[in-house]
Amino acid sequence: MKPAPFAYAAAGTLDEAVELLGEAGEDAKLLAGGQSLLPLLAFRLARPSHIIDIGAVEDLDSIDEHDDGHLSVGALVRHATLERADLLGPWKALAEAASLIGHLPIRVRGTFGGSLAHADPAGELGVVAAALDAEVVLKSVRGLRTVPVGGFFLAPLTTAADADEVVVEARFPAPGRGFRSVFEEFSPRAGDFAYASVAAGCRMAGDGSAHDVRLALGSVGPTPLRAREAEEALSGSMLDDTAVAEGARLAAAACGPSAGDWHAGGDYRRALVAHLVERALRRLREPA
Amino acid sequence: MSKPRSRLIGSPEPRRKNRGLLRGEGAYVADVRLDGQLHARVVRSPAARGRLLGVDTSEALETPGVVAALTAADIDDIDDFRIPIRLPFAESPEANRVLQAPLAADVVRYVGEPVAVVVADDPYVAEDAAERVVVDIDELEPVLDPATASESARPLVHEHFGSNTVNRLAYRYGDVDAAFARADVVVRRRLRVHRLAAAPMETRGLVADFDPASGVLTVWGGAKVKHFTRGLLSNVLGLEPADVRVIEVEVGGGFGTRGEPYPEDVLVALLARRLERPVAWIEDRWEHMVATNHAREQEHDFELAADASGRLVGFRVRGWCDQGAYVRTQGLLPAVLPMVHFPGPYRWQAFSMDLDAVLTNRTPVGTYRGPGMTEATFVRERMVDIAAAELGMDPADLRRRNLIPAESMPFAFAPGPGSGAVMPIMYEGGDFVGTFDELLATAGYDRLRVEQQQARAGGRHAGVGIAAYIEFSGAGPFEDVDVIGGPAGVIVRAGVASLGQGVETALAQIAAELLDVALADVTVEFHDTDEIPQGFGAFASRSTALAGNAIAAAVDEMRARAAPLLGCGPDEVEFRGGAATAPGARSVGLDEIGPARGRFETDALTASFGGAVCSVSVDPGDGRARADRFVLAHDVGRAVNPRLLRGQLAGAAAQGIGGALFEEVAYDDNGQPQSVTLADYMMPTAAELPEVEVAIIEQGSGSNPLGIKGGGEAGMVASLGAVANGVADAMGEGAEVLSSSVSPARVWRALSRRAAPAGAPRATEEA
Repeated sequence: MKPAPFAYAAAGTLDEAVELLGEAGEDAKLLAGGQSLLPLLAFRLARPSHIIDIGAVEDLDSIDEHDDGHLSVGALVRHATLERADLLGPWKALAEAASLIGHLPIRVRGTFGGSLAHADPAGELGVVAAALDAEVVLKSVRGLRTVPVGGFFLAPLTTAADADEVVVEARFPAPGRGFRSVFEEFSPRAGDFAYASVAAGCRMAGDGSAHDVRLALGSVGPTPLRAREAEEALSGSMLDDTAVAEGARLAAAACGPSAGDWHAGGDYRRALVAHLVERALRRLREPA
Repeated sequence: MSKPRSRLIGSPEPRRKNRGLLRGEGAYVADVRLDGQLHARVVRSPAARGRLLGVDTSEALETPGVVAALTAADIDDIDDFRIPIRLPFAESPEANRVLQAPLAADVVRYVGEPVAVVVADDPYVAEDAAERVVVDIDELEPVLDPATASESARPLVHEHFGSNTVNRLAYRYGDVDAAFARADVVVRRRLRVHRLAAAPMETRGLVADFDPASGVLTVWGGAKVKHFTRGLLSNVLGLEPADVRVIEVEVGGGFGTRGEPYPEDVLVALLARRLERPVAWIEDRWEHMVATNHAREQEHDFELAADASGRLVGFRVRGWCDQGAYVRTQGLLPAVLPMVHFPGPYRWQAFSMDLDAVLTNRTPVGTYRGPGMTEATFVRERMVDIAAAELGMDPADLRRRNLIPAESMPFAFAPGPGSGAVMPIMYEGGDFVGTFDELLATAGYDRLRVEQQQARAGGRHAGVGIAAYIEFSGAGPFEDVDVIGGPAGVIVRAGVASLGQGVETALAQIAAELLDVALADVTVEFHDTDEIPQGFGAFASRSTALAGNAIAAAVDEMRARAAPLLGCGPDEVEFRGGAATAPGARSVGLDEIGPARGRFETDALTASFGGAVCSVSVDPGDGRARADRFVLAHDVGRAVNPRLLRGQLAGAAAQGIGGALFEEVAYDDNGQPQSVTLADYMMPTAAELPEVEVAIIEQGSGSNPLGIKGGGEAGMVASLGAVANGVADAMGEGAEVLSSSVSPARVWRALSRRAAPAGAPRATEEA
């Protein structure tokens, strides 16, 4: 459990990080909070040639709600910061999800950008990003580009970011008026990787009907999944018990066929998804 | 013996080491640093079973910083290095044919089996070089299921042995067929105990140094059984026992696994001797989960017979106890210990037991806190609950009316015709019914049942689980203790071992009370085999009982020696303030009396009765079972230190609750271990555990003068059974618990199989 040899460099600024990463070639890895990377190194499952430490890079750690209503979260925002930020209404799922990541010492170090870049299908923040149609901003010596979250997560531990690109921030588009989001997960012990998780959001109209329903699922496929059929079936409904049960059933059916491992089989995870979707939707139909 | 006036035995003194350990001043084996120290890395088999065609260390040896690499081919007569069984009563000629050599030579038999070891001047370099050892294995289909391992179609784990069953152990009591013929109710189930690991927070580790000038080998990191380790290492290295010194530094948990000699102990000692430089090996967590003994995995086909009045009349059990790929130092205990604990506290008219000790291609199995008794208690107590349901009786009532009554003590289930060479099952005494009533009263059992009804009426799944047990502890053969009095205080030298359980505190209390000195004036030494008398170590919850009574024997010896000096009879000698006094105010100091050696010798075990009540709630939506309350009663004979005892009982119960609800050592179909990190081997945290409430019962023991029984493991014994029974009760009719693992996935599956509402996802595959 000792990492294979690697070269190490610490970047002081984002530009420096991008430059170092560009020079280091295909097999370099960025180190931010280290909460996923260090175990991979210890098990020698990751053997980067270079580690570029961006932990001290400034100006990547802010959470900003902009005038046009969109939210940006910097790559170096720590989970503990996100958890305690005053994120309400449309952004509540972000804070709720952050509070469920690992244990406090992990949340104090682990970073938002690191979680996205690591692309573990059990990662809570990726699921929220999927539900809220976030865009991921990437930077390299070649410049900046923005990738919608649906195209960002490609497979377990694989993203659309090129080897020379740094995740800079995620942008969450302005939601409709009255939009709210919540996050639910099941993990066997406090702080474990969730067996299943759900980020849910919708806008409740004055007549109590739900619109713009979003359901994203974690730990049940190679990437965070959107349960589109369930979303469509629920949009316009009153989120009554019948609609909720049907939404839960459709969401469970959206799980990847290969979901499941020895801890929790696929059928169990699908049942958990149904259970969590019901719980999330019941919360959304309660008055804010 | 004169009456001690101080009251240290029974006093809740704080553990002696707390201050240093909490301040980070403890030094563990990984903290040992010697000049010129080298670091060993073990290369392990990646396959569960296969022919070992070659191990090529040439590339590893070329790595800068690498000093040596060793394979089986580099050790002459490697079979002479096979690690022997430590306990004569756990040995058999057959078991001695499947012992483990320190390195695999021709065949690998489990993932993690050592095949080579690389030594470098830096631990990182050692690990880099270990990767460059090329291990050529012709992989073969492994044997993974204990219950079917001996079917003829299965391959053999040890071809030369000719069978995957090491031994079948048999115990017969009474006429079991007649008992079943008379029975009104017979229930039968196949129950599984899942594989668990003790997983102490400090993994194993050793530092060995050989001094060619003196010919002495010194080993740091010994634990549990230092003298046995000394004997073993002197044997395999051809040294005199006096030329091997085993030193115990702080130990971060033992639980039965740490301190037994393993292949690495031999390898590290051998390397230190060959290289004539200090060699350190510190196990990492991945290694720990594949290399250190596992525990508990068994399957039992259990049939219980009762009459309509609620009398438990007999049982038959046919069982398969996994030994893993080799029999290790603890021999056949994985089968012996369940057997002697199966009858438990009930007055059976007859029973028969046939248990196979079985080989599979997985990490060898040893003992883990509450060994055998925890497994047997789970199986028997689950069956008692199933019988109670069949009889329509309250499970507490059924148990209570079948407990062996106090007036029948001492009590024996003498082995009858057809029994093998077994340890006879006998209980020296105790008021089981009284203890059981105390358990129910502490738990508020009747109120728990009322609350359960209320919870059910509110639609919640609430259950109450009970398990009662017998725990054998205090195994001999003996302990020697030296007690040395002087102006600076009293020194007690004992061959025991500390695993963090606080034995040094308990022994100091006994010595201080018997000699009437201040507790702070007693020093207990046990760290260095060069400085302490022969000892057998820390297992079977024996340390306080054996060494404590040896202290009493040493004090008696001092009394006998003081009598002529004082001109009185030994019975008239009284110890006051660290001096022996006689009527008329004459006194002699302990230094004048001189050091005394005491021995406590026994061939009997002490039997403790106890039980647990666990209230459980189950969430049918996600399958999560919670232990909401866990109440424990245990007869410890006499509590030397109730504070430490409570800690031991609660800690063991916590470990057991975690074992029931979360932990599992899992393998895939190729024999690849799945739970090699603490993210996958899910030990409970404070968030998952209830407060463990403890009722300490002190009914004495006729087995030793101080009346002490074991307490370090007892909290574990009822845990799997009480939690499983609570979960079964919470799930209600139709959802059975047949495994000691009641993980969320298993509970969900059991509920889902019973009745899924229309449209809900149903179980179709194994979770």
